[in-house]
Amino acid sequence: MIKHHPKFELLQGFVDGDLPASLAAGIAIHNNMCASCQQKVSQLTEQVAEASFEQSFHHKIIVNDEENLTEIAEMDFDDMINQITASDDVEPTKAIYDERSIDFKGMQYTLPSALRNIELSKTAQIGKLSRARLNLGEGEIHTSLLHIGPGGSIPEHTHKGFELTLLLAGTFADAHGQYVAGDFIMLDKRDQHQPATEHGCLCYTVANDALHFTQGINKLLNPIGAFIY
Amino acid sequence: MLSVHSVLPSLKANATSNNMTNKINHPELCQWLKSIAIDRDKQAFTQVFRFFAPKIQRIAQSKINSEALAAEVVQDTMSNVWRKAHLFDDSKGAATTWVYTIMRNVTFDLLRKMKANKEDNLSDDIWPLAELANTEEEVFTDHIQSRNLQGIIATLPENQQQVVKGFYFMEMSQEQLAVHLDLPLGTIKSRLRLALGKLKLKLGDPHD
Ligand SMILES: [Zn+2]
Repeated sequence: MIKHHPKFELLQGFVDGDLPASLAAGIAIHNNMCASCQQKVSQLTEQVAEASFEQSFHHKIIVNDEENLTEIAEMDFDDMINQITASDDVEPTKAIYDERSIDFKGMQYTLPSALRNIELSKTAQIGKLSRARLNLGEGEIHTSLLHIGPGGSIPEHTHKGFELTLLLAGTFADAHGQYVAGDFIMLDKRDQHQPATEHGCLCYTVANDALHFTQGINKLLNPIGAFIY
Repeated sequence: MLSVHSVLPSLKANATSNNMTNKINHPELCQWLKSIAIDRDKQAFTQVFRFFAPKIQRIAQSKINSEALAAEVVQDTMSNVWRKAHLFDDSKGAATTWVYTIMRNVTFDLLRKMKANKEDNLSDDIWPLAELANTEEEVFTDHIQSRNLQGIIATLPENQQQVVKGFYFMEMSQEQLAVHLDLPLGTIKSRLRLALGKLKLKLGDPHD
């Protein structure tokens, strides 16, 4: 059973459309596996929509602005209506998408639909770790698919920024317990963790700073930090 | 604040039919969307446009900080409303929620284009509009192929099925159905109109 969910502020940001694509996609994937967060998001969306389009919304805006805006707007709006309604195009009732899958170490995984149009780079490997970057173009925020082979682990580390690990398939465990597909694990710089997997797993990871390794010998393993990040 | 009404004359009719409240007239919005979907009704679209466009313009402008780009959000959002009105299903959520979703998605893609220089238009993958649509529609692709009317009717929501079956198969009048189902005549009429719109689409004949 999924035990780790996005906190409310993230769901709110998701509904508002204010999160980076990397985190928004992570929440979309989680929601597809979590009926309870899905329902929260539906309710929140309805409330936000209602509030956005209520007339009282405009009371927050200074009247002068509103008059200027409306004058400009009204001129253009009639043209816009004519232009839009001149088109006979109708969206197909049901779009059919091809499923997209990815192979890691001979295992094939179907990607969540939220990721189906994101550019993927080639897979790189170090030992039991395989990583394919999702090229979202979000600067210091790096997003990847990370596969850990059976018996594999990530050396103990902390973070300077945040790190999201969303388990897509398989299981892993750390000092806090066992995780299953759908678990949405958001860590910040205070947290330490050392995920290890018995049978292998696939994760969606988003991190905005290099991992900081805390165990003596692993400080020598800087390449892995850069690799995961 | 009276100025709202004086600068937005198009909203007056809406406001008076609602009496003193500022509440949104949801049934009216749904009706307009249905008219767009079924009849490609330009008049209904103009109403929907006049209700939403100024609000979208303001919301987008506060987010993007550019009048020209905010107008682009209005144009894209309202084009989607015109093109996708038949995908709106009032049993799955309010018209405001549906338009909000389109607006949020359009804005997200536009901001990504500006900030990340990416034109991957991810929003519909992250927030699929279809999720708001009826899940019963999953089965109907098969039905189109067989062109089996009974099968297609079976994909309609239960309350629309009742009306369609009564009207076509039992040849009851709309008035008889209203008595039989103990519903207002207006409800029968709107359910029938909605159901027929869906049937036309599912039979692959979106136009008259
Ligand atoms: Zn959840």
